[in-house]
Amino acid sequence: MGNKYSLWAVYFCTGCGIIEVPPVITTRWDAERFGVIPVATPRQANLFLITGYVSLKTLKAIIRTYELMPEPKYTVGFGSCPINGGMYWDSYNTIKHLDKYIPIDGWIAGCMPRPEAIFIAVTHLWTLIDKDMANGYIKYREKYQYYRKNQESVLGKLAWPPQFEKGNVHG
Amino acid sequence: MVNSPGRHNSKKVMCMDDLIKKKLKAVFRGIKVSVEKDGRLLVTARSDNTREVLKSLKDAGYIHLALISCVDWIDKRKFELVYILSSYFENRHVIVKTDLKREKANFETVVDIFENAEPYEREIHELFGINFQGHPRQIPLFLERDYEIPPFRKDFDTRQYVKQFFDEIPFVEEDR
Repeated sequence: MGNKYSLWAVYFCTGCGIIEVPPVITTRWDAERFGVIPVATPRQANLFLITGYVSLKTLKAIIRTYELMPEPKYTVGFGSCPINGGMYWDSYNTIKHLDKYIPIDGWIAGCMPRPEAIFIAVTHLWTLIDKDMANGYIKYREKYQYYRKNQESVLGKLAWPPQFEKGNVHG
Repeated sequence: MVNSPGRHNSKKVMCMDDLIKKKLKAVFRGIKVSVEKDGRLLVTARSDNTREVLKSLKDAGYIHLALISCVDWIDKRKFELVYILSSYFENRHVIVKTDLKREKANFETVVDIFENAEPYEREIHELFGINFQGHPRQIPLFLERDYEIPPFRKDFDTRQYVKQFFDEIPFVEEDR
């Protein structure tokens, strides 16, 4: 697909991993070599890096941000915390598996991953996009009722209406 | 050498600490004052005159409330509230501690004395379940959910909670 060399990463900060992102997007590691540029608004972004632990309050913001992004969109969980809770595995207020609530196309393991790991993830994402395997956003449409159910079971009733109607999988 | 208010010699500080100690002991009943180290005073007050202690300390120049903290001593069946005050003029701290009964977790607010106590008391109300009487808006600060037992109390079993709650949520499988 043509958009694989121009990934626009939404500037969404959560957890400690976001400290790795400023050196990645600026001169030292220069993510623009790989076509990754940060944007301030989710409406112009197609790459979502979740860079750390996700508390319930952050989860709400993550769902809203993800739903605002135009398709096709790709999500990458960065660090151990979104994968399985990491050091917050027994926390009363931090979710353990982010892929129960929004689809994730790839994970970067580590606490913290090095900036180079982001580029490995990006190049791996190119492969996935080529093979049509980075299809989290399609999965989100098709399984939306299950995602929504999981979201509401932790957050209570959400303040915004469902993004997709049941049965109308193409939005 | 410039004689700025932040710089002091320890002898003078000891004198100041003793002065405050004497003053507090003279005015308030049932109060314990000890000098932890240079420039750090520990005051243990009774719960019914803690507000007055804080007020008089504010009048004595300790106008900065740095933190309100809470400790759950579950074996002694009590909560301990910790107020940390500091002075801009003398570069010193006063720590005021008071005990509450665990069963009746009620305390008077200090928002009218230190305005910045508002979020601290809201946080303690949310995480320890202590009710601050007279607080202008005691609404949730951080948490998104209701917990049966406030989560920072020692009898809140986090591991059990995670098992019952987060682990029960199913994965969205491909073939569902």
